[in-house]
Amino acid sequence: MGGDRAPEEIVKGAALASLQRDDVEIILCGDTAAIGKVLSDTRHDAERLQIHHASQAIRMDDRAPEALAARPDASITVAVRLVAQGEADALVTAGNTGAAVLLAERLWKPLAGVQHPALAAVYPTEIRRGAKDDPFALILDVGAGADATPEELVVFGLMGAAWAARISRNPRPRVALLSSGAEIGRGPRDVAAAHDLFLSHTGLNFIGAIEAIDIQRGIADVVVCSGYVGNLFMKMLDAIPETILGLARYASKEKLLWRAVLGLIQSGVTRIKQLTDWQEYGGAPLLGYDHVCVKAHRRSGARAIANAIKVCAVAAPPGLLRDMHGKIAEFRTKRSQLAS
Amino acid sequence: MTASGAGPAHTFRWDLDKTYLRTDFDSLRGLVRAALEKPHEKRAVPGAPALIRALREAGGGAHRIAIISGSPEQMRAVLEAKLQLDGVVFDEFVLKPNLKNLLRARFRAVRAQVPYKLPALLRSRAAVSAPGETLFGDDAESDALIYCLYADILADRVSRGQLLDVLRAAEAYDDEIERVLALRDDVGKGEAVRRVIIHLDKRSPTARFDRFGPRLCPVYNYFQAALVLYADGQLKARDLLTVAREMLASRDYTVASLANSLQDLLLRGRLAREVAVRLGGETASAGAEFSDLPPHAEVVAAFTKRVQALGDFRVAAVPAGPDALDYAALVKSEGMR
Repeated sequence: MGGDRAPEEIVKGAALASLQRDDVEIILCGDTAAIGKVLSDTRHDAERLQIHHASQAIRMDDRAPEALAARPDASITVAVRLVAQGEADALVTAGNTGAAVLLAERLWKPLAGVQHPALAAVYPTEIRRGAKDDPFALILDVGAGADATPEELVVFGLMGAAWAARISRNPRPRVALLSSGAEIGRGPRDVAAAHDLFLSHTGLNFIGAIEAIDIQRGIADVVVCSGYVGNLFMKMLDAIPETILGLARYASKEKLLWRAVLGLIQSGVTRIKQLTDWQEYGGAPLLGYDHVCVKAHRRSGARAIANAIKVCAVAAPPGLLRDMHGKIAEFRTKRSQLAS
Repeated sequence: MTASGAGPAHTFRWDLDKTYLRTDFDSLRGLVRAALEKPHEKRAVPGAPALIRALREAGGGAHRIAIISGSPEQMRAVLEAKLQLDGVVFDEFVLKPNLKNLLRARFRAVRAQVPYKLPALLRSRAAVSAPGETLFGDDAESDALIYCLYADILADRVSRGQLLDVLRAAEAYDDEIERVLALRDDVGKGEAVRRVIIHLDKRSPTARFDRFGPRLCPVYNYFQAALVLYADGQLKARDLLTVAREMLASRDYTVASLANSLQDLLLRGRLAREVAVRLGGETASAGAEFSDLPPHAEVVAAFTKRVQALGDFRVAAVPAGPDALDYAALVKSEGMR
């Protein structure tokens, strides 16, 4: 059980989900005594919760390979193993991302046709999408790997589109490649090749290449990029609110007028925050394995965890992975036919 | 009185709404529906009918079932018919005289629980007393407080003055106060209440009940209640299986949810691992009578897995609770009237 606010908020999130949904059973992996203490103070449905003790934990700042080797009974290891053994259908973690990705690679099987998994992230956009009016676009890969071949980029797109269709109830999600502009010739060679493959080998609603600034505008529902690019992009985005807050603090110290203006727009900022609150989404998936994994934000509170569990409840039934597998197989077949 | 004419060995007192029956009093619609439902439309909490039947049978005629409900007298026929449909035999059935209260403009009494239930319990005890009692209630209102207060009155741990404070805090009418105080003086004293079971209909946090001490056990369902009573020696393994069977037949429960319920009791220190192990052995010989249950090996495997999943965890004993609860303060601070 990981994350900055574990175990309290994670247990409370599971408790909340146990009361909200009667179609899920939740296994909490972690220190039994600590979990029991939080549960005793929290409304929950004990019939839908079970505990699996893990005596160790991986910290957020641990280097995953070394930490996993040193702590074989870490809660994330126990949880990933339970999923691999079929004791659970999906994994939710707010803990160390590297550890989750590494363990999935070691203990789960890749979906047929997937060479490298993709870690997705969600980003709030101006335009909403799907039957759920989802304000979040899906971006992948944001760091499960570094480079990606053109074929892998297409597979990311196929997996992301299947996820968006199911989770956002958006049957024809718009898929785009992240590049340096709409003019594909200006981008890297792999991106250009992937662009051609998307057009010629998939039936996706592919809208071409977009620039980073277009992500926030929401013109694409699924944005595909290599792990290296995605990781840089997400880290930069993460830093923006902090930068703005820092500037606002500085400005408010400088002038009374600026302070007043900041006060005036406070309610608007709060509303925007509510509309785009990542806690509503719960987390983003690690795609490419024969099991579902939702990686919740490290700062996740109870609501985010409960929502991540809800996402899993929708994603875990075999339909989604079957869809992904079918689309990838179709792409691979077409690719080999055209190549020969 | 029991079939043999001797006094009962044990009295099991049950509340009805949200304890035995699934009742929605939280909305006006639910309230109206509860009032208009026919007996066959009323739904018992899964396992509750089987548990009452098992408790009655376990005594071989020496176990008494007394029902004290906050439902109005006017519902007696429907409620009795429902109990009959469920095969529940009772010895006493007390309902609240709400119409009488309304006609006498005693509006506080319509809602009040303490001034109604406490004298009803004491009166019942004064009429027929058993050496032991087990009380069943829920977390919707003030059952936990009333039952523990009743237990402490029987054990002579509540003085006249303390009881007066409680009744005043509960806004009881003067004549009610006099009646309760008289009953307190007259009722036979002793440590009669062995166990209080609180059905967590609202899924209240269990720690909320720690202050009432280990005698009171909050349960999420009647499988847990049966497990606790099995550990207490009130029920046999076979009885537990009849409760489980009824719960599984309701389709609201699965072997997994029952296994989770067992794990929860272990986690809260309400059941010892040794008891769980003993139960596994005793249910193995239950035989053909329970052929409609999932295979014994499958059930035992699911339950064993949950026990093992807790690791070496050993719970601290359930907090003993304070020597004397300040019931008046509880009534005032939490509005448990």
